[in-house]
Amino acid sequence: MKFLAILVGKLAALATRLTKTGSGTTLPGLMAEKIEPQIIRKIAERLKYGVIVVTGTNGKTTTSKMLVEILSEEGYTVLHNPSGSNLTRGIASALIHSVNIFGTGLEADIAVFEVDEATMPEATTKLRPRAVLLTNLFRDQLDRYGELDKTAAIIGNSLRGFSEMTTILNADDPLVSSLAKYSEGEVVYFGVEDQGITTDSGLAMDSKDCIACGHELVYEERYLGHLGKWHCENCKEKRQKPLVSASSIKVSPFVSKFELALPKENLKVEMPIPGLYNVYNALAAATAATVTGVGAPAISHTLRNCEAAFGRMELIEVEGKKIMVLLIKNPTGANQALSAIYSDGKPKKVGLFLNDNFADGTDVSWIWDIDFEYFKIAGSEFVASGIRGEDMALRLKYAGVDKKNYKLEKDINLATKELAKKLKKDEIGYLLPTYTAMIEIRNNFTVKSDELCNMGKVTKRGL
Amino acid sequence: MSYKVKLYHLYPDAMNLYGDMGNVIALAKRCQWRDIEFEVVDVKIGDSVDFSDADIIYMGGGQDRGQKIIQNDLAKRKTEIQGWIESGVVSLTICGGFQLFGKYFKTAEGEEIRGIEVFDTVTTAGDKRLIGNVVVDVSAATAKWAQKFRFKNLENPTATLVGFENHSGLTKLGPNTEPLGTVVSGYGNLGDGGYEGGWYKNAIGTYLHGSLLPKNPWLADHMIAVALMNRYGSPIPLDNLDDKLEEAAHKAAIERAKTAKTLSI
Ligand SMILES: [Zn+2]
Repeated sequence: MKFLAILVGKLAALATRLTKTGSGTTLPGLMAEKIEPQIIRKIAERLKYGVIVVTGTNGKTTTSKMLVEILSEEGYTVLHNPSGSNLTRGIASALIHSVNIFGTGLEADIAVFEVDEATMPEATTKLRPRAVLLTNLFRDQLDRYGELDKTAAIIGNSLRGFSEMTTILNADDPLVSSLAKYSEGEVVYFGVEDQGITTDSGLAMDSKDCIACGHELVYEERYLGHLGKWHCENCKEKRQKPLVSASSIKVSPFVSKFELALPKENLKVEMPIPGLYNVYNALAAATAATVTGVGAPAISHTLRNCEAAFGRMELIEVEGKKIMVLLIKNPTGANQALSAIYSDGKPKKVGLFLNDNFADGTDVSWIWDIDFEYFKIAGSEFVASGIRGEDMALRLKYAGVDKKNYKLEKDINLATKELAKKLKKDEIGYLLPTYTAMIEIRNNFTVKSDELCNMGKVTKRGL
Repeated sequence: MSYKVKLYHLYPDAMNLYGDMGNVIALAKRCQWRDIEFEVVDVKIGDSVDFSDADIIYMGGGQDRGQKIIQNDLAKRKTEIQGWIESGVVSLTICGGFQLFGKYFKTAEGEEIRGIEVFDTVTTAGDKRLIGNVVVDVSAATAKWAQKFRFKNLENPTATLVGFENHSGLTKLGPNTEPLGTVVSGYGNLGDGGYEGGWYKNAIGTYLHGSLLPKNPWLADHMIAVALMNRYGSPIPLDNLDDKLEEAAHKAAIERAKTAKTLSI
């Protein structure tokens, strides 16, 4: 039976690739799972060092990618679901690809799986992970999951009943931190320890009140959305001490520098990707690696050379001009992208491409929580585009952007060229698309992301 | 003479889900573009607030947790807010805010969250989440408003509202609250594609996020016009604004409501 399930899965993968009906990442899993429902559990059980599951709203793809690279650097053979196909069936496909048709000879010895919040109950039951890493919980794709508290409860309940499993939580996120109570195994935390990067942007605070008692939380430092050093004055709930932390953080449009405090060692890290959110991603990956027993050298080496995950950050070339593409999918992510872009305080040329297909989230209300009013966008020029380009242009108009400084061009290709046209020679443009808009851009323009690291280095010298 | 509109924003922290802040931004900008001073007073739990200078009372949507957190504080303000609505103060409440301006909201767990009975409505949790783009025909309501206020922006005979709904609560209207409109596409108050929202005097409640007012500028202008009339005792003509982009966004939302799939999960 298992033989048949794996064979069918392999044939389906081949068929999808040959007929170009898809990338071959979910169909094989779907078919194999139909034949033997236990297949994921059985294959997962044979991974010598087990499975690490990464979930949360923002950063799970980049965090997973960093963790896979750290583990590989340490000498593990890592299995993961890299195609953004992050449902259980995508995982089944990844597992099936890695074994031969007899179900033996699994090459990988450890797995890192990125799992959607809503899929967590199925994922923990089937994969029985050694560790679950929860990056953060922001409002996102509410049309898919309902409300944030309900998402948290779904993840929390998925942690119950596994006393061997380590739960890795973001100490700075009060909602994530509150999930410790569900865990029956060890719980460790990661967090930021910094006084210099506090934000006073008031929008996109998703979790302002104490989970335990409802009292408004007090923040000594607030770093990003509702992430920060928090405590409750009413019931004494407070941020837990992190096992791994980051301090002395400095971000610019191309690089992030910080000090990473591991349990036994401090590292100075300089990553060629920008933004505090990527510091959080690195912190999360380093914590999961530490829990797995990886030493400082592999962590340090990997973070210095890391890249953002597929589509999260790309460099494209359009008519001889370079445009940096940063995926946005919710207000916190968009605010972080803008804060990275505007970290040098200079006006920019920015494209904002808003689609409302299922993969983007069908509700575009969230753009009203992008804190344009907070960033120093005066003098910047904008191009709004996408299926809901009018909504994005309207957001810019109501943020007080001068009429001559924003333009609506519904067609994504024309809008991208329009943005390129605005750029002076050697000036870098910025493009913030939602998911399906990003795919369209990738399909139509030359992606040159390998140059991103060099740009980071050039900028560093220039600073 | 310079004019002024003062908005009281109920619980901006606990009740701001799905970008409802955009409604306050829209009112502020549409006043400022006309040189009308716009002031916002944030009302938070425990604040001692006198609403006697309020032209507009506003509350956005929130999660069940947000609603539970504010219910006791809101209850203390019940008589005062009811009194001002009774005297004609303008009000807009969205989603969870709309529910709490009714009699009660009974959650899926059977818990009853008390409202302040501005609207003659009761809300009970349904077993599905109703999610998607919405178009509402509000011409019946605007016809009545037009009889009372002869504002130019109410003259459009096919007045529509566009927005995005995401709720599991089902809201039933009693005899003292009229529906805001009938659903052209979407689920509406009861999930059956029947009617949407509710209104009483100058208080409007709706499930529409989007944000609502930027894409429905005529409603924002109606609220501003009534607020000015209340404050200054006679109609104050509003300058025309260039609303081409607003109208394009309104049309795009109507188109999208025809093509995009809705969800009930
Ligand atoms: Zn507390």
